[in-house]
Amino acid sequence: MDLWLEWARGPLFRIAIAFLILGLVRHVAIAVFEIAWAVRRAGDKNIPYRKLARATLAWLVPAGKLGHRPLYGLTTLAFHVSIVIVPLFLGGHIALWARATDLAWPAIPNLLADVLTVIATAAAVLLVIERIAARGPQMLSRFSDYAFPLLIAVVFGSGFLAMHPALSPVAFRPALLVHALGANLILIFIPFSKLSHVILMPLTHLISEVAWHFPPHAGSEVGLALGKENEPV
Amino acid sequence: MSPAEPKPRKYSYYVEARALEVTDRPRRFLETFAAVLEHSNYAVALDAYARVCSKCGRCADRCQLYETTGEERDVPGGRGDLLLRVYRRYFTIGGRLKARLVGGFTLTDEYLDRMAEEYYRCVACRRCKEVCPMGIDQGLITHLARWLLAEVGVTPKALVLAVREQLQGVGNTSAIPVAALKNTCEFLEEELQDIYGVTIQFPFDVEGAEHVFFPAVSDYLLEPDTLMANAAVMHVSGGSWTIGTGNYDGINYGLFYSDRMMERIVGRLVAEVRRLKARKILIGECGHATRSAWFAPTFCGPDAPEVVNFLQYTARALREGKIPLKGKVIEERVTYHDPCNIARAGRITEEPREILRAICRDFVEMTPNRTHNLCCGGGSGLVSVDEIRPFRTRKMGKMKADQIRATGARIVAAPCANCKKQLREVCEDNGLADVQVVGVHDLLLRAIDFGVEPKAEEKVESSSQAMA
Ligand code: SF4
Ligand code: SF4
Repeated sequence: MDLWLEWARGPLFRIAIAFLILGLVRHVAIAVFEIAWAVRRAGDKNIPYRKLARATLAWLVPAGKLGHRPLYGLTTLAFHVSIVIVPLFLGGHIALWARATDLAWPAIPNLLADVLTVIATAAAVLLVIERIAARGPQMLSRFSDYAFPLLIAVVFGSGFLAMHPALSPVAFRPALLVHALGANLILIFIPFSKLSHVILMPLTHLISEVAWHFPPHAGSEVGLALGKENEPV
Repeated sequence: MSPAEPKPRKYSYYVEARALEVTDRPRRFLETFAAVLEHSNYAVALDAYARVCSKCGRCADRCQLYETTGEERDVPGGRGDLLLRVYRRYFTIGGRLKARLVGGFTLTDEYLDRMAEEYYRCVACRRCKEVCPMGIDQGLITHLARWLLAEVGVTPKALVLAVREQLQGVGNTSAIPVAALKNTCEFLEEELQDIYGVTIQFPFDVEGAEHVFFPAVSDYLLEPDTLMANAAVMHVSGGSWTIGTGNYDGINYGLFYSDRMMERIVGRLVAEVRRLKARKILIGECGHATRSAWFAPTFCGPDAPEVVNFLQYTARALREGKIPLKGKVIEERVTYHDPCNIARAGRITEEPREILRAICRDFVEMTPNRTHNLCCGGGSGLVSVDEIRPFRTRKMGKMKADQIRATGARIVAAPCANCKKQLREVCEDNGLADVQVVGVHDLLLRAIDFGVEPKAEEKVESSSQAMA
């Protein structure tokens, strides 16, 4: 068990982080390159950057964007806030980083981490329930749309139990092992799945605008490529 | 779909007979897709969309079609995925690899038929984009999917016929010859003289004018009041404008089914402005005509003429005190419909309100409005497809009807040829027959103070019928 645990916290963690970082860097590099290329060849280079930045920011700080289903909106918000803060700012996690990279930064108090962890776990489960209950999301959902939040719930739940052995029905080591394995799995999945929105989302509003800025003669070029340039309507 | 239909249709809408003879469609579709990805900028969007859609379903809460039908196929994110699935499978490395290893999705004729149905159920109003955390533009996906479908023959016949008339026939979508156009304008001049006692001319082919006027050409058949008001505004404000006999149609159905056509039609606007050595494209009260004209710099480069919508011109003239008014002469309750194509991105929302507030005693807003407004239900050219009227008015237009009813307004001002036709039908089919749908300028015309005694005020409201 100890060996497994060491493996999960050491080599596996490093591999997962490498996957995550390389994957995300690749996404950003491709997206930025594509945007630049699209703008360069666009006939109309007039792009409302400010407006787009505002729209993007409004979603990054989405208070007031709870929408039609306030409960769903609130759950999503609580979920995102807690799953971003705890992994990055829990004391134990920072220690892990420090061990691997010598980098460290201030931690949040453990009590706050506990509260956020409980929120994250509950919100992840709630998200699954709401996904099943609301017709729109339910009809769109694939297996992974249920699996990811559940996996996240397991990771946060086991993390909580590992932090509080006194409250835990399972022993410390198995809890921590489940936690570490699950977390690594998520890290690896991020660049390969819809979770890549963690890095692409700030660019998507800009992308939606840029895509409407066609190169001049985009239409006739396509006609030419298809041999339809002289075809009557 | 109604029992009275003359012959069975393959899709909910008619397509041309030749469209049904196209063979090998999946291959052609993919060939087109590849060419489009190469020459356009859509790839950047598809690449991102195919990755980030979180299937959160928020878009479903915002689609007026899905809200009315509740049908699975009407969930926006799901419809978008129809095209994204093709993109993923054939145009991403992962998709190609997966197909080689484990097989899976293949593009078939049946799948194309399904896309042909679904992408003509979305009106590309882009309302769902506003609530999508990822900013995914389903309107863009619909726009692109329709183009790809058009290249394998699938486009509602009504749209193709109009574009054919415009590009290869008489030169405009309503097939109005120049002689008839001039006749109509003479008639309108007489009406202005008879009703308002003013001599106002519709100028033709004036070289060096500031604006060349392109209304939806159907206005010359259907909207005499809008046109008379346009001329009146130019008259009182001392505006410099002309109608070009080389091209007098702002309609651009290319926006609804093919960038190839859109480019050609936009090019014709620009060419006419250049022929007349004029400076600006002045679009009449029409949403899609305005949005497609805004593509002028896209297709014709940075020195394409500036595009002005008539509402912008008039609001500015009003602000500058160039339009003398008799006051708030419109007594009935008036509400305003924001056409998606000018309002969704927030480009034209306040100008019409400035005009209406200046002349209406009882102006009320619909809720929601401006960038959030509901589509009339006939957007993206569906309004021209007569055979789907029940779908347009009872499904797509139902929430619009409820929205209008809730305002209690007698008059809906809608500055768009397409919205007007659709809203009239929506009102007829949803028990709102007493609601009048008019242009913003129509109302303004009643309020302009020409400084002369009108000869026959009582005829003001009957000019439409006279013309019909
Ligand atoms: S709102 Fe956007 S991210 Fe959510 S399901 Fe719809 S398209 Fe996808
Ligand atoms: S663009 Fe409009 S009609 Fe189309 S899916 Fe979105 S909300 Fe519905």
